[in-house]
Amino acid sequence: MEATFYLSAAVAVAATLMVVTRASAVHALLYLIVSLLAVAVVFFVLGAPFVAALEVIIYAGAIMVLFVFVIMMLNLGNAAAVKEREWLRPGMWMGPAILSALLLAELIYILVGNEGAAIAGRAAVDSREVGITLFGPYLLGVELASLLLLAGLVGACHLGWHTESAWSSHSESLSDSHGHEHG
Amino acid sequence: MNSIYPDLIALSPLILLAVSAVVVMLAAAFYRNPRPVIMLTLLGLILSFTSLFLPQSIASRQVTALLVLDHYALFFIGLIVVATFVVAVLCYRYFGGNESRHEALYILLLLAALGGGVLVASSHFASFLLGLELLSISLFALIAYPRFTERPLEAGIKYLILAGFSSGLLLFGMALVYAQLGTMQFAKIGTMLTAPDQALELYGLAGLALIVTGVGFKLALVPFHMWTPDVYEGAPAPITAFIATVSKGAMLALLLRYFLMAGAYQSHQITFALSLVAVTSILVGNLLALLQDNIKRILAYSSIAQLGYLLVGFLAFDPLAIEAVAYFLTAYFVTMLGAFGVVTVRSGGFNGGDNDGSGGVAERDSDRLADYAGLFWHRPWLAGVFTAMLLSLAGIPLTMGFIGKFYILAAGVEASLWIPVIALVIGSTIGLFYYLRIIAVMCAPGSQAITEPTMRPVASPSLVESVMLAALALLLIWLGVFPAQLIDVLEGTVVNLS
Repeated sequence: MEATFYLSAAVAVAATLMVVTRASAVHALLYLIVSLLAVAVVFFVLGAPFVAALEVIIYAGAIMVLFVFVIMMLNLGNAAAVKEREWLRPGMWMGPAILSALLLAELIYILVGNEGAAIAGRAAVDSREVGITLFGPYLLGVELASLLLLAGLVGACHLGWHTESAWSSHSESLSDSHGHEHG
Repeated sequence: MNSIYPDLIALSPLILLAVSAVVVMLAAAFYRNPRPVIMLTLLGLILSFTSLFLPQSIASRQVTALLVLDHYALFFIGLIVVATFVVAVLCYRYFGGNESRHEALYILLLLAALGGGVLVASSHFASFLLGLELLSISLFALIAYPRFTERPLEAGIKYLILAGFSSGLLLFGMALVYAQLGTMQFAKIGTMLTAPDQALELYGLAGLALIVTGVGFKLALVPFHMWTPDVYEGAPAPITAFIATVSKGAMLALLLRYFLMAGAYQSHQITFALSLVAVTSILVGNLLALLQDNIKRILAYSSIAQLGYLLVGFLAFDPLAIEAVAYFLTAYFVTMLGAFGVVTVRSGGFNGGDNDGSGGVAERDSDRLADYAGLFWHRPWLAGVFTAMLLSLAGIPLTMGFIGKFYILAAGVEASLWIPVIALVIGSTIGLFYYLRIIAVMCAPGSQAITEPTMRPVASPSLVESVMLAALALLLIWLGVFPAQLIDVLEGTVVNLS
């Protein structure tokens, strides 16, 4: 049914607006996850369940993991615990929770009524078809994407190289056999 | 499976670029020595350039839906590879020569060149976006490469945000065009739109406008030019040369292909908007350049104006226009590489000293006008090369710039684009002022650089750099005096596009 598409699209837009306007990063991240889930539902309704699953696994999943990493890497002390307690106020999680509940209701409705792929007017695109397309006509695109990742990796590796002071120690730590002295 | 070999041969220039990036990365992982790394980089570029002549026999081969390796693409890939070669050579001493540990730089350069090559060969929105992203992600890391100095980092972040923003606009535009036509292949879009009673609907048109806007950001055309001077000033000088040439040239070649293949030139609203952009780019670029005191900023505004000139030829949309754009772009490549090459050679570079300010880390390049005072008296050859480049930018006869501008004017007049042509003439006249101002500063006899308070440790160019600059200057004058040689090449290659 078309209503499911419009509802989840509205949830996505609302959640994304909240991401942009929230002052607290944690709050914004919660909304971001909801927004990604809403987009996943949009994909599902349009007849692309595989992309919907990828959206949840890669975006929502990976972003959650990154978030956890950031929390782990920050030095958490007493102040953080106080802040944590503040964050647990209902005002903080109510918005994302309501939006997620909407999405959940929608999903249950679709699954119970078996409405998936109805709106697209054709058969759902499954993972097999996606794979054949990616490694058939779009093979070069996949290869280019891998090189794009390589560029990102090399760039991030260079920009994020951690050294105590600056270039001199940078070069010294990199030179394996003999340390160079720079004036 | 037989048909894969012609495809591989057709793709060989791009494949070789990708392979050399990976080889350089592996070599850098095992031998932390800059010499083999730069040698491998240059070797990869040379191999890629020679492999351009392999697919010449196969005219216009479509490799999957994504890429088309026709003579037009091959010509621009060649241009990009040569420009990357020059930039790699310029980077070597600038980033510390034999004592440096800058292997990542060359990997990123090769990947950026690959991105440019994919752009000029793409015939599909997917390869367009992937090539563009490959180019801009590599460029972002290259701009911020001296990561312990403030200005490159600032420039890198500015470029990152604007590149992300313009990619977003492009994607949205592509989605809108796809929503109307249901295809992402340029050629198919073209055939669909040439059918009678078929034209872009309002949102398809909005999509096209968004694509032009996204490309406009990359090309730094006037309403979207704000980032250019800051990024040009902040980025290391050889990288600035790369942004000015490869990044913009690839984008423009792609835009021309898109407009001709996908029939976008039939939309009068878009061509009108583009001519408006061309006129404002020429005028604003030239006028703002008058106010600058920094060579890199002057060259940035001058490149905005030059792209405006290019658009004038672009708007004619006929074989002469393609020829004019290709010639002007070649001239622009040679000139910008030469001009930024001189700035590179004059600068101390980021060569791995201490960070406390007393060491070898330059806080900025030698890019103020004062740094060039009296250059004619102690570095006559260098000043001569710089003068040749500036005169070419101004469009003085006997240089490539003159022939290029002449070509553009001819294309514009033939298509009776009167207002852009008038803007071009006015812009060139204004341009003479600031180019001659730099030359006048270099000639000023009284101000020896020794007495300058801003006197900096003067870098001496390496032999390879001098040879490179001399070659660029010779090429500039040779092809300015005998343009027929390049024109013959162009007529054999790029004109086949339409």
